[in-house]
Amino acid sequence: MKLDSKVPSGPLEEKWSKHLNEIKLLSPNNKRKHSVIVVGTGLAGASAAASLAELGYHVKVFCIQDSGRRAHSIAAQGGINAAKNYPNDGDSIWRLFYDTIKGGDYRSREANVYRLAEVANEIIDQAVAQGVPFAREYSGLLDNRSFGGAQVSRTFYARGQTGQQLLLGAYQAMMKMVHTGKIDYHPRKEMLDLVVIDGQARGIITRDLVSGAMEKWAADAVVLCTGGYGNVFYLSTNAKNSNVTAAWRCHKRGAAFANPCYVQIHPTCIPVSGDYQSKLTLMSESLRNDGRVWVPKDPKDERKADKIPEEDRYYYLEERYPSFGNLVPRDVASRNAKIVTDEGMGVGATGKAVYLDFRDAILRDGEDGIRAKYGNLFDMYENITGENPYKVPMRIFPAVHYTMGGLWVDYDLMSNVPGLFVAGEANFSDHGANRLGASALMQGLADGYFVLPYTLGNFIADSDLSRPDTDHEAFEEALSASKAQIDKLLAIKGNKTVVEFHRDLGNILWDKVGISRSREGLQQAINDIQVLRKEFWQNVRVPGEAGYYNKYLEFACRVADFFELAELMAEDALQREESCGCHLREEFQSEEGEAIRNDEKYSYVAAWEYKGLNGKLEEKLHKEDLEFEFVEPTQRSYK
Amino acid sequence: MPSFIEAAQSQVGRKILTGITGFLLLFFIIFHLAGNLAIFGDEHDMNRYSAFLHDMGGLLWLARIGLIVAFGLHAWIGISIWLKKRKARSQAYNVYSSKGGASKQGLSSRSMALTGIILLIFLVFHINTFALGDTETVIVDGREMEDLRSLVIETFMNPLYAFGYTFVMILLGAHLGHGIWSAFTSLTMKSKQLSAAIYSVGVVLAFLIAIGFLFIPLYIYFTGGCGELLGGCT
Amino acid sequence: MSSSTMTIHLKIWRQKNSHSKGRFETYTLDQVDEHMSFLEMLDVLNEQLIMEDGDPVEFDYDCREGICGSCNLVINGKAHGPKHLTAVCQLHMRNYNDGDTVVIEPARAAAFPVIKDLVVDRTAFDRIIEAGGYVSVKTGSAPEANLIPVNQKKANQAFDFATCIGCGACVAACPNSSASLFTGAKIAHLNKLPQGQPERNERVLAMVDQMQKEGFGDCSNFAECEAVCPVGISISAIAEMRRDYMKALFDD
Repeated sequence: MKLDSKVPSGPLEEKWSKHLNEIKLLSPNNKRKHSVIVVGTGLAGASAAASLAELGYHVKVFCIQDSGRRAHSIAAQGGINAAKNYPNDGDSIWRLFYDTIKGGDYRSREANVYRLAEVANEIIDQAVAQGVPFAREYSGLLDNRSFGGAQVSRTFYARGQTGQQLLLGAYQAMMKMVHTGKIDYHPRKEMLDLVVIDGQARGIITRDLVSGAMEKWAADAVVLCTGGYGNVFYLSTNAKNSNVTAAWRCHKRGAAFANPCYVQIHPTCIPVSGDYQSKLTLMSESLRNDGRVWVPKDPKDERKADKIPEEDRYYYLEERYPSFGNLVPRDVASRNAKIVTDEGMGVGATGKAVYLDFRDAILRDGEDGIRAKYGNLFDMYENITGENPYKVPMRIFPAVHYTMGGLWVDYDLMSNVPGLFVAGEANFSDHGANRLGASALMQGLADGYFVLPYTLGNFIADSDLSRPDTDHEAFEEALSASKAQIDKLLAIKGNKTVVEFHRDLGNILWDKVGISRSREGLQQAINDIQVLRKEFWQNVRVPGEAGYYNKYLEFACRVADFFELAELMAEDALQREESCGCHLREEFQSEEGEAIRNDEKYSYVAAWEYKGLNGKLEEKLHKEDLEFEFVEPTQRSYK
Repeated sequence: MPSFIEAAQSQVGRKILTGITGFLLLFFIIFHLAGNLAIFGDEHDMNRYSAFLHDMGGLLWLARIGLIVAFGLHAWIGISIWLKKRKARSQAYNVYSSKGGASKQGLSSRSMALTGIILLIFLVFHINTFALGDTETVIVDGREMEDLRSLVIETFMNPLYAFGYTFVMILLGAHLGHGIWSAFTSLTMKSKQLSAAIYSVGVVLAFLIAIGFLFIPLYIYFTGGCGELLGGCT
Repeated sequence: MSSSTMTIHLKIWRQKNSHSKGRFETYTLDQVDEHMSFLEMLDVLNEQLIMEDGDPVEFDYDCREGICGSCNLVINGKAHGPKHLTAVCQLHMRNYNDGDTVVIEPARAAAFPVIKDLVVDRTAFDRIIEAGGYVSVKTGSAPEANLIPVNQKKANQAFDFATCIGCGACVAACPNSSASLFTGAKIAHLNKLPQGQPERNERVLAMVDQMQKEGFGDCSNFAECEAVCPVGISISAIAEMRRDYMKALFDD
């Protein structure tokens, strides 16, 4: 396997325009002859499908939801970054680039990140023209806010529903092209395999989630926009149906999986209330602007929060990080919450929570002042927990939120399998070891609207493609393999449900491949995952049959893939003997608990090549060295 | 672009026509009520009113045709909407209840079709009784007039008519209770705040109209046609 | 946090597919934790059913935080259950009492055929959007975002309509199975903004036409849709739709 990032030469600011000038074009006449498969209809998928169809390609779109509008991008709350510099506070494309690459702890490709910052402005233009109702000032012009500790106000937002509004814009653009007949739209169909012919991606296998029918689809290129794999942890803020299956099956067909251990954990989620918990709900980080995080000093303190006097409270973030206090970055806040709860100071019935207290803010601003700022968040909290956060402190705990890792792609967003493109959260490309707030929406739409439509055309113009044909034996082989796996899962009829297995897998990962990792723990995790995976294939109980709507069968197929990915995540975390971004290795931290990066040895993208599965997952590590020509990597400090 | 006929048959068109015809009928009803209340005026005010209408000649026929069209359209669309809803939900809920709050579901709104159909049937009897009924002739202000007033009093001395009319007027009130607000909404009244106010005004108006109408038969019946408001018995 | 548990009796609509006849099945769940969400309660039921070799109850869900619009159960005759401004995935069992009987039915409308049990096919909504629920702006052709200021109040009004999550509760709850709130909300969102003006007439005419073709019923101004809407979209959306429709007819 050869990893060629194909980053264009020349000055950073000119790479993308130079590349655009050099890529091959297809005439409208020729575009019409080519077809593209887009899997997933989130921000990346819907925007790519719409844009490609507008250019004239024939596009086939697939999603697992009952409508393209329900992809998980819809749940993003905060906003989308762009360096428009409307507030005139000194923002620039360079600063957005620099903040993103620094936020990623210098583990992403400079050229990709710069392009992201460059096209971000166009995203805002496009979305506004589509009727996305961004927040506006009295003047009627667009409003910006500072988000996630940024020093400039560059975040465009649409109340707490920015993801929803941007996705609806992209979905509507896609539906417009469905109307013109340029897009064949297939909701409730799940991709189960990638078909590779002569080393090129030529199609996919899907299962119709309503009828159970297995189908073959051929095209000149496949675009994977299937999101992240946070649900490998079972509990996460991801939607219940988010999964890694499409990406993982591509990996097994030859696509390299990059940096699987980079998982972002969000510090302010509503904690788990019991074993039945099915997912976690995120609350905006903005709460930390006014709330103070604390736990009782005495682990045995049984008093109610408001009965615990000041001297018995441990405001651990304020004490440990005096200059940033409660506003330390996500990973630092998350890690410290885990440390104090591991030490037994956690609160609530499960002991897996810390307080986020608004008492002082309410004394300062009044209840109405706090209600004006956070009213909807407080209502949501009360709706879920049954507790009134104006009276008792909120309980919060970190939760898995976003995965920076994903399929490896080059500058053109093409994987190492020619013809297979990967966009959005499904690829690894732009966020390095940590993603900044309001950057996920930016990346999904940048990929779909403004990168893929050009680079995919370049690939098609540059390739000598035979006509797509599902009669090729590779299609039959892939279809039979998917079918065989389904039959195998249904035939086990064991004694433990898919959900139980998934929950157990999640617990292993959360404990050992979660907020902080150690060599010993990771080795243990690999062993535990292998044992549990073996048990899964002997003892899982999947109800019903394959020939109709069967949600638990869908889950079984996805969990089977999570079991393999989980091992790779642990492997990846084990080989990366440094701490960077969200990846904290306990062996590599300063005495104060600060992450220590090792640029000399680990300034690379870890891209894994699938070699087989035989009780143990066989993967070969390839390294794409990261070179920093334009920025100087520095060590973060939030002290 | 749909033709006007097509547009009129669209779901929006149907609703707008229902609203327009509803308003026309509402004006008619208010006008009608004013005429009815003439019974409490001078002994022959009601007959003068009747004669005034008849004197309009061509204009009266124009109004009659207008009313027939409005009634016909209003009823036809209403009934067709009611029939269509069965097609739009072939399998009914086993348990169904309103969620309250902003909902305007209630006896009034749920029974629009029923009250409407009863009002339509009533209309046939009503026209037969009064417009086509046998009347004596009286001389008023030096000219011959039909003595509608006597016919009215005579009719409502009959308990079947008196209570039958009263019952139907309660249904009319119920129909208008939702109908007035609904017509406003159909005719694109939009603000959220105004909506609540219009609803209240609609309900009050509907109540007053119903009371106005049903007061007459009940008063006549219980006073034996000799109430003080009718000028006592002569 | 202390929590109490309760016994809940469930009466759930079971239907194999769109062609078969459905029926109710009853189940009893003990030890339902008050902090469970309604859907988690159904998860627990399904875990039990699977272990007893039963057929788990199918229902649609995804984000479980009230924004994706996948879930749409009708509980004791109310779309999304008893709480206002709450999608069923955000409904918690503390809203129920020990010993309660809960009847769960799918959203019922001819335009929403049942796929299995409580899962229905809402692709009719996709087709209504497809008919005109967009601004035709090709990627790359957009002008500078601040070129056209939008009055803040207008933008907020448009936003109120844009928050629709497409769950279909409005159809489920409407006595006539009308999709007017869904359709009206999208029309009102786009037609209120300057960006939506060039296509405003075509949009409203095409979307109303499609809505009717899909077999949804007429709107009788019951406003039940507004009462059940988990994001509180006002029926003024429907008034906007009618007004725009009239305008479109007379605008040449």
